[in-house]
Amino acid sequence: MVHLTAEEKSLVSSMWGKVNVDEVGGEALGRLLIVYPWTQRFFDSFGNLSTPDAVMSNAKVKAHGKKVLNSFSDGLKNLDNLKGTFAKLSELHCDKLHVDPENFKLLGNVLVCVLARHFGREFTPLAQAAYQKVVAGVANALAHKYH
Amino acid sequence: MLSAQERAQVAQVWDLIAGHEAAFGAELLLRLFTVYPSTKTYFPHLGPCADEAQLLSHGRRMLEAVGVAVQHLDNLRAALRPLADLHAQVLRVDPSNFPLLIQCFQVVLASHLQDEFTVEMQAAWDKFLTGVAVVLTEKYR
Repeated sequence: MVHLTAEEKSLVSSMWGKVNVDEVGGEALGRLLIVYPWTQRFFDSFGNLSTPDAVMSNAKVKAHGKKVLNSFSDGLKNLDNLKGTFAKLSELHCDKLHVDPENFKLLGNVLVCVLARHFGREFTPLAQAAYQKVVAGVANALAHKYH
Repeated sequence: MLSAQERAQVAQVWDLIAGHEAAFGAELLLRLFTVYPSTKTYFPHLGPCADEAQLLSHGRRMLEAVGVAVQHLDNLRAALRPLADLHAQVLRVDPSNFPLLIQCFQVVLASHLQDEFTVEMQAAWDKFLTGVAVVLTEKYR
């Protein structure tokens, strides 16, 4: 469970309302695959990931980023029950996808960078703190069912 | 370690920071302390709530050291030897804290540069700062 103050909750939801979830998803996933190239190990079927341009314009990366971030968006509506919200996805990532939970933290951090890029000065230290708490909470929830 | 292209990216980002080390450094520290409060344990001399002057002063010192690293990409170990000794013998900052500082650095860059903060810049800068952190913690044992 994430413990956000009322001010932090307000910051998170007001900023999220201005986010183009579909685009930000693709950008975050693309940046993850380039900045931390070992994460490409999960995406052999995605085609050309050989250059930054190839990754950022890859249709499968964009589609998957969109899916991931829409799921994250659901989490934002259930900050009091992230573990429940992501239980099934946690099982999937463990049993079928075999994803090291460390990757959830990496993606969370990249997402925060993408938000900083979009919001500029508006992405204050307090906003960053709130969002880092949220991405950490989601990462923990996704790792919760690992066995 | 860094390719020619990556070095160019690092230099390009540094050009935007140079001259503003204090401001960037202060924001970096403020983010670090706000987002990761446990990091304050390494700065007892800044008190429980560092004021702007202290953040600017210490922030500038840290960013000037980053600047030294940027000028010596070919030989980080030699250039950062005094700092590596300081961290190993005196400061002994747990290595797990460096990724936290690096994350905050990326956020500072992203929020200031916005559209100019390309993915190539982010990748090169992350690789560069991680290399600096390795050098600073190498003598720990």
